Amino acid sequence: MDKLRLIIAREYMSIVGRKSFIIMTILFPFLMIAIGSIPVLMTMLNNSGDQTEQIAVIDETGRYSAALQSDNRYNFVAIKGDTLTNAREFYDKSKGSISAVIVIPRDVETSAQVNIYSESTVAPALTSMVNNALTDTIQNAKLAAKGIPDLQKIVEETSIDLDVRTVTWQQDGNETESSSDIAMGLGMILAMVIYIFVMMCGSMIMNNVIEEKTNRIVEVVVSSCRPFHLMLGKIIGVGLSGLTQMAIWIVLLAIAGSVMGNVLGGLAASPEAIAPGMDASEVNNVATDFMQQIMSINYTPIIINFLLYFIGGYLLYSAIFAALGSAVDQASDTSQFLWPVMMLMIIALYAAIGCAENPNGPMAFWCSMIPFTSPIVMMIRLPYDVPLWQMFLSHALLLGTALAIVWCAARIYRRGILHYGQKASFNDLFKWIK
Amino acid sequence: MAYLDINQVVKRYEGHTALAGVSMQVPQGCIYGLLGPNGAGKSTLIRIINRIIAADEGTVTLGGKPMTDADIAHIGYLPEERGLYKKMKVGEHIVYLGRLKGMTKADALASMHWWLDRFDLKEWENKKVEALSKGMQQKVQFIATVIHRPPLLIFDEPFSGFDPVNAEQLKVEILALRDQGSTILFSTHNMASVEEICQQITLLNHAQVVLTGSVDEVKQQHKKNIIAVQSPDSIEQNPALFTLLPTDPVKKDDILIKLAQGVQVRDAIAWLNDHYRLTGFTEVLPSMNEIFIETVKSQQNLHNNG
Repeated sequence: MDKLRLIIAREYMSIVGRKSFIIMTILFPFLMIAIGSIPVLMTMLNNSGDQTEQIAVIDETGRYSAALQSDNRYNFVAIKGDTLTNAREFYDKSKGSISAVIVIPRDVETSAQVNIYSESTVAPALTSMVNNALTDTIQNAKLAAKGIPDLQKIVEETSIDLDVRTVTWQQDGNETESSSDIAMGLGMILAMVIYIFVMMCGSMIMNNVIEEKTNRIVEVVVSSCRPFHLMLGKIIGVGLSGLTQMAIWIVLLAIAGSVMGNVLGGLAASPEAIAPGMDASEVNNVATDFMQQIMSINYTPIIINFLLYFIGGYLLYSAIFAALGSAVDQASDTSQFLWPVMMLMIIALYAAIGCAENPNGPMAFWCSMIPFTSPIVMMIRLPYDVPLWQMFLSHALLLGTALAIVWCAARIYRRGILHYGQKASFNDLFKWIK
Repeated sequence: MAYLDINQVVKRYEGHTALAGVSMQVPQGCIYGLLGPNGAGKSTLIRIINRIIAADEGTVTLGGKPMTDADIAHIGYLPEERGLYKKMKVGEHIVYLGRLKGMTKADALASMHWWLDRFDLKEWENKKVEALSKGMQQKVQFIATVIHRPPLLIFDEPFSGFDPVNAEQLKVEILALRDQGSTILFSTHNMASVEEICQQITLLNHAQVVLTGSVDEVKQQHKKNIIAVQSPDSIEQNPALFTLLPTDPVKKDDILIKLAQGVQVRDAIAWLNDHYRLTGFTEVLPSMNEIFIETVKSQQNLHNNG
């Protein structure tokens, strides 16, 4: 046991002490925040366009140009003259002071078509603005033309915006409002955490094993300890280093998040930052709703189950990665063994995404029983109260399989690390297990 | 009684037998040469002694007791193909390997400092292994092998990669370890170094022991009754007593004669002394190199014919 502890400590320190690890650990959250805030920054830049563009409007119907409201980006100027040639002349004469010409044709109500002419590409913002402004107006005009009294009012009253709420019945008879969106989001995040962690640490373990083997240090080490201890120490040590990194990220993200939250909160409090048509109380309501739904999820079982699946899934896959690393002489030889493992993991991820649609369906059930996919797929199902027997069965299958895989991997590993030269085949691997 | 006693050890792999009933007795405090061509089974035997792999049959006893996993603390092993963790610091690395062999941290630290000092590597203690020259890395490897003062040392080609100066230093250290009571199993292809430091040898070929004994015994067994004679006269051969052999191009002054069957050295020398002016003579014993080649080749012929 002392030796195992020594090996774990060495593996852990050899990763955590690396400069690249320290840099990556500290920089990653900032990188994520930077990537996350790029769209926000870009919209800000867009909206702060310093110049108001002049847009000429030729309204052949004479009824709809008023619907186009000028704002600080686009100033709509209705021009006389109703033919396209006129428009072109007008555009050329303006020598660039007018950036586009909108033509609302006479038959717009039947053709449902409006043209924007320009020498440069028309910004999507302008197209969507014109579309939004004119659609409602023309629709209302058409409704009014039907001559039925109060038709517009009737249509407004009959149109609905359905709000589907999901409510969970508790054992004690209470009802809690739950949100499938948030439950699914949480599940997806947990699934991704396991997937990324296993991939990251798994490939690190594999490369470590190959490095030790090509270094030839492995023979010295296994003359001092059992190969199984070396493999296990590596799996645990690398796993702990990954957990350390994750813990630091969570702390940094939490700090950064609260700082960002304060800054954004400050912005949101200023009235001009709130989207038009939404007042401050509405924003508040959305936020409290969101918070309530987040709080409504029962976290204790999710956290416990997450940790169990995390450990099981990590053991299962990292043992495979360690065994594969031991079977080759150089990293470039791994591909022939690696693709089945990668396939399994990608299938698990896709199954997880698929199960999000129907977290209690047959695919979700089977994929959350198969140990190679269950650690990832079960994450999606966790927020949806999985039946207890399924939970137990899935855990038992995962644990049993993980231990069996570790046993097989150890047998491959102890032969593989001393095997040089001729590349091992799948056949060899099976022989080594026996 | 032998310190390390290997008794009828068998190891089979899919398709071939690496060791077919190998026995070997290594006395305490001896430098014991384990010889053999590539693929003879030396590495397999060494790995079995190190308990890296298990024998299919046979026993290995150390100090009179069957070996257990606990015994690996009593062995220091320097493999032929060796390496270190490149990113680890020299001092940390030596201490790590020492502690893996069961030393306490304090003991390992003290021993590490003592050895680094002895090999003039003190200022490298906190440098990464990758910053060291190949020769220095070899020294670090050697220190890591002996840091826990094991009673049994196994060196596989210890001198490869060393320049003559460092090789000499290493030889001195190995002899010093022997004098302090360590038993040393020494595997090499370098027959000159075998003659220099080994007292006993075992020659493996095709998974079997083909030759064993003390270096002197083996040489006596393989002598060809050849005498190098120095004389200013040109000696004619006397088929009743001896025949002349072509001279060794390196030692042109030596006249080589091969004694006829049953002729004693002193009879031949007496006759030569009567007829020529003899200035000196020495019995030519075969070198370990010659014995090695001869034994392995005769085995090959046996194999080919059988």
